[in-house]
Amino acid sequence: MRLNHHRASQLLSAYLDRELGPAETAAVQAHLLDCASCRAAYEGLRTTKELVGQLPVAEPPAGFWAAVRAPWLPRRAGAARIRGVFGRRVAWASAAAVLALALAATPLVKGTIDRLHASEIGVDLYVRQHAQAMGAEPFTDRAYLGLTTGDADLVLSGDAQPAGTAPR
Amino acid sequence: MARPNASQAVSYTTEELARYEAIVQRYARHVYNVAYRMAGNEADARDLAQETFLRVYRALRRVEPDAPLESWLYRIVSNLYIDLLRKRPRGRVESLDAPVDTPRGELLREMPDPGSSPEAIIEREQLDATIQRALGTLSPDLRMVVVLSDVEGYSYEEIAMFLRVPLGTVKSRLHRARQILQQRLGRYVEARRRGWEP
Ligand SMILES: [Zn+2]
Repeated sequence: MRLNHHRASQLLSAYLDRELGPAETAAVQAHLLDCASCRAAYEGLRTTKELVGQLPVAEPPAGFWAAVRAPWLPRRAGAARIRGVFGRRVAWASAAAVLALALAATPLVKGTIDRLHASEIGVDLYVRQHAQAMGAEPFTDRAYLGLTTGDADLVLSGDAQPAGTAPR
Repeated sequence: MARPNASQAVSYTTEELARYEAIVQRYARHVYNVAYRMAGNEADARDLAQETFLRVYRALRRVEPDAPLESWLYRIVSNLYIDLLRKRPRGRVESLDAPVDTPRGELLREMPDPGSSPEAIIEREQLDATIQRALGTLSPDLRMVVVLSDVEGYSYEEIAMFLRVPLGTVKSRLHRARQILQQRLGRYVEARRRGWEP
């Protein structure tokens, strides 16, 4: 099998991923020996793949694990769109969530920055962790959760606290 | 493990809840990671991943024990993300988390991370943010393929199955996506090819 330049250049990504059959693989290899432009393109694709592949695994924010493990709980204002599934309790809770949002949203941006700032300068570890967790997810603050669920016990059914969440 | 609770919409048995917990254990980190690389910010990624698992939870009785769920999960994430794009004015979804202007150097000096210098960490974070921004310039179709391939490491065949597209489509989308990324990341690609490590 012989490949012209255009065809070979289209196969470079699949060649890089070892996703070509033996005949195509051999043909691309043969073309690469002849074609400096395809060699450069191949190197660029390989490096690009490498860069993307080195992205770290994104760390879920505080409150994520508890929310995923207890999906029936309304967690924060954004969860209001799941209403209707859980009946009256959630209808009531999302009304409370709107109130919580009204209370929280105005100073939210500034509050978040202040909390992040506090998390840097705080000397006490507990305060620091708490401030960091709250900076990342203000609606998991116990005051808000108590308000949105109307039942402090529900908070406890959410299972193990993820790392980085303040001990309670 | 979660225990049955009066507020649950469906009363699942302890075994069923254990099964849900096992699904969370096995897939949630990957689902969140894919959602994060698609959305480019924490709030949307969290919403997408939580919504995905809410669907798993609701459909729990229809999920076969031990059946591989990647295909279903990534299809849900992908569809939810496209819904999100439709509902939002353009530009709002693509944005990265706003960089928080904090004196990082100070913080790092205060709590040193053994093994890497503050400069190296900052450089790495900047590079990651640049790569994420470059991903954000791809169309969702191209982005999903490159995330599943180059971030999560799935084969063309698996990606074709997840997204219900022909193998040739995966091949061409991935090639196109990498060409665009290479252009956007030109400086870094060139630096690395010459052996300067960022
Ligand atoms: Zn060529």
